[in-house]
Amino acid sequence: MSKIIDYLNPVARLGKKRSVVVPLVLSFLTYLLSEIFAYYILKNPAQAGAYLVFLSAALVIYLSLRDGIAGGFIATLLTLAYYAYIIYSRDYLGEQFISAIEATVLLGLLYFSISLIIGFLKQKVDGLIERESNEKRRLQSIVQQLPVGVIITDAKGVVVQSNRKMEEILGEKIPLGYAYSKDEALLKSNHSEVTHTNSQPPLMHILNTGKSVLGKEFTVQRNDGKEVFVQISSTAIRNRKGDIFATASIIDDVSEKKETEKRKDDFVNMVSHELKTPLTSMKLYVDLLKNTVNKEDLKSARLIKGLKFQTDRLQKLVIDLLDVSRIQTGKLNFHKEEFLVDALIEETINELQQFAKKIKIIFKTRSGVKIYADRFRIYQVLTNLINNAIKFSPPDSKILVQNQKEGDDLLVSVQDFGAGIAKSQQKKIFERLYQIAEGEQRTFPGFGMGLYISKEIVIRHRGKIWVESEKDVGSTFYFTLPL
Amino acid sequence: MSKILIVDDDEGILEAISLSLEKEGYTAITASKGKEVMEKIKSEKPDLLLLDVLLSGSDGREICQRIKKTEKGKKLPVILISAHPTIEKSSQECGADSFLAKPFDAKDLLLVIEKYLPKETKVSRSVLV
Repeated sequence: MSKIIDYLNPVARLGKKRSVVVPLVLSFLTYLLSEIFAYYILKNPAQAGAYLVFLSAALVIYLSLRDGIAGGFIATLLTLAYYAYIIYSRDYLGEQFISAIEATVLLGLLYFSISLIIGFLKQKVDGLIERESNEKRRLQSIVQQLPVGVIITDAKGVVVQSNRKMEEILGEKIPLGYAYSKDEALLKSNHSEVTHTNSQPPLMHILNTGKSVLGKEFTVQRNDGKEVFVQISSTAIRNRKGDIFATASIIDDVSEKKETEKRKDDFVNMVSHELKTPLTSMKLYVDLLKNTVNKEDLKSARLIKGLKFQTDRLQKLVIDLLDVSRIQTGKLNFHKEEFLVDALIEETINELQQFAKKIKIIFKTRSGVKIYADRFRIYQVLTNLINNAIKFSPPDSKILVQNQKEGDDLLVSVQDFGAGIAKSQQKKIFERLYQIAEGEQRTFPGFGMGLYISKEIVIRHRGKIWVESEKDVGSTFYFTLPL
Repeated sequence: MSKILIVDDDEGILEAISLSLEKEGYTAITASKGKEVMEKIKSEKPDLLLLDVLLSGSDGREICQRIKKTEKGKKLPVILISAHPTIEKSSQECGADSFLAKPFDAKDLLLVIEKYLPKETKVSRSVLV
C-alpha cells in the first residue's frame, strides 16, 4: 500500500525517473470517470463545465509535478481533447459554441503555462537531486577505496557511513545507524605515548569539545580476540552556521608498523647486549694490562691509556645506541634525586679535561643551586655538550661552562671558540642521527646521537635546549632545567 | 682466601673476571652453564657468587631464587651481572644481593665485591695462607 502511495506521491518521486504512460493513463481514467459522473450521477452532462475547470487544473498541476513538463503537456492535451469531445457531443450551438471554444482555448493556454512552470521547477529539482546523489556516490566510492578506515557519524555519534577497510580493521561490519557510546571498544582510550592530556574517546572528545583529535593511538580489542593498534584522527564537520552536524574519523591500522618497530627495537637491544659482553672483557683486560706494565715504561702506559680511552668511547657509543632506541620506544626512564649542580659540572669537567690536553675547560660561573633531576642523565647532557665543544675547538683554545639562576629555571651554558655552526644547521643538529656533513667538518666522529639524546633528556625534564652560534667565532649551547 | 664462583656463558668474560679477581688475591672458580651452579656451590663452597642473568638455557634469576631457598644459600652473597640494565629491578625480586650492569671495569667490580667480602678479611686470610 505504501508503495502505491509513494508511486503516486509527487514529492516522493522527486529525483526519480519520469513517466509518460502514467500521465496518459491517469488523464484518460480521470476524464472517463468524469464522463460517467456527468451522465449517471449528475444526469445533466451540460452542467459538467463548472467543476471540470478545477478538475483539469488539479490534474495538470499534479502530473506536471509528478512527471515534469511532458506529464503536464500530456494532461493538457488530453484535457483539450476531452473538452473538444464535450463540445462535439453536447451539441452546443451559436454563441454557446463560440464561448465554449473560447474558454477551451484560454484554459488550454493556462494549462500549458502551468505545465511549463511547474514542470520546469520539478525538472530543476530532479537535476539538483541527481547532482547531489552523484556527488555522494563519488565521495562514497572514494571513501570505500581508501586504504584507511573511515567512520562518519552525525552529531549524536550515530554512524552514517563507514568503509571496507574499517570492516577489515574491526573484523566486522558496523551497521549504519549504530550509535557509539563511551563504552565502545574502538573509542575507549588505552594508554598512549602520544601526548594528549584528554583521554576521552576521540568521538566523544570532538562531540563534547569540538576540537579535533590528531593521530592518537588506541588499542582495539576485536570480538574475535585479536588486538589491533590503530591511530585515530577525528574532526568535527560544521555547517555554515558553525554547528557540528557530523564527525569524520580516519582510522589507520598501525599494527604492522608497531611490529616492525618492536623488531627493530629488539634488534638494537640484542646488538647492544652482544656488544656489551666483549666490551666488558675488554675493559677488564685493559685494567689488567695497566697493572702489568712497569711504572717507568711511559710508552706502554701511553698506549694503554689510548686503549682505555677508545674502549670507553666504544662503550659510550653502545650506550647511546641503546638510549636512542629507548627514546623512540618511550622507554627512557629517569631516577630523579636532588643534587648540587656545581658539583656535577665540576666532576664532569675534571673527567673530560684529562682527555683534552690542549684545550682548557673553565668553570666560569657557579649557581650554588640544587635541582631535582636524574643526575646521570644530566651528566650525560653535560658530557655530550662539552665533548662536542672539545671536538670543534681549535688547539690552545678554551671552553667556558657556566650555570646561573634565570627566573624559575637554571640556565647552563657551554661555550667554545671553534668553527661555529651555520644558521641553517642550528636546528637540525638536534635531530636524530644528524651530522654536519659539510666540507672538512665531515671528519668529526660520532653517530650524531649525542645532541638528540641530550635534547630528549632536557625536554623530558621540562627544560629547553638550543644553540647560539656564529661561523668561525664559536658556539654556545644552552639548556635550562626547572628549579 | 675468599673464593668466588663466576657464572657466565661467555668464556671471554669468565677469563677476564677470573684474572681480575685473582690479581686481587681472590680464588676464582667458573661455571659456564646454569645447571652446574648448584653442584659447584656444594662442592666448592664459594664465599660469593657472580651470576650472569641471561645464560644460554637458563635464567640467572631463577637460579638465584633456588639458591636463596636453601639454608646455606641464604648466607651466600649473590651479585647478578647483566648487559640489560632494565633487569636491575627484577634482580631484587629474586633475592639477589646486588646488581652490576655490563660493561663494568675492574674498579666497579671490586667495589661491589668488597661490600660483601671486606678487604680486612681478604687481607687477613691471605696473610694466613
